[in-house]
Amino acid sequence: MPAKDQGSEAGRAVVGVRPDPVIDAYKRDIDRTLLRENLKLTVEERFLKLMELQRFATELRRAGQQARR
Amino acid sequence: MTDFASLFRLLAQHNVEFILVGGAAATAHGSARLTEDLDIVYRRTPENIARLAACLGAHHPYLRGAPPGLPFRFDAETVQRGLNFTLTTDLGALDLFGEIPGGGAFEDLQQDAIEIKLFGVTCRCLGLRRLIEVKRAAGRPRDLEAIAELQALLDENEGQAPTKGES
Repeated sequence: MPAKDQGSEAGRAVVGVRPDPVIDAYKRDIDRTLLRENLKLTVEERFLKLMELQRFATELRRAGQQARR
Repeated sequence: MTDFASLFRLLAQHNVEFILVGGAAATAHGSARLTEDLDIVYRRTPENIARLAACLGAHHPYLRGAPPGLPFRFDAETVQRGLNFTLTTDLGALDLFGEIPGGGAFEDLQQDAIEIKLFGVTCRCLGLRRLIEVKRAAGRPRDLEAIAELQALLDENEGQAPTKGES
């Protein structure tokens, strides 16, 4: 298991993110449970998970193409 | 499929100066969305362009979506004459940006980058707040959901409870 490393903010503080009602409407549908699970992982583990997801998506596309033939 | 681990190692081990942006930067910050390519803003100094061209050259970079057989040569001169390149490589899809809308060049983003350690190397990644700013400035409707997720991540990082209607 890789060591935990979330990185550290460097440089100037970026100004606060201003509210936007459209973005806020989209935020209501975000599944925060998935985000919380990801935040428990190291950065490296997040990329390993992404690569697994890519493999799965590739396999689904292949299966879909085969089914349409 | 993009081999993120090998791309990170390749760029870092050749001392290419770059900042991770886009969907992969969102992944680094905890995004649950699928992204298929690696987006980086590279520093446009002659030395860095030479390092970038040298390290990618062996991995057959080619313009993504272009018909096969075009006389495309990826070398320092090509990178110097161009700015942004969307490439396929043996290691997967790689987008090289000299500048990004709403963000500018490497030097404009550098101060808002964080260092991340992964796959045995250290890379710069655009900080979460600046990533949100850049995506918002780009103004693309397809980014709305991704921006909302990044803002939710910011809330989670800052310990803010979801507002009414958010899970």
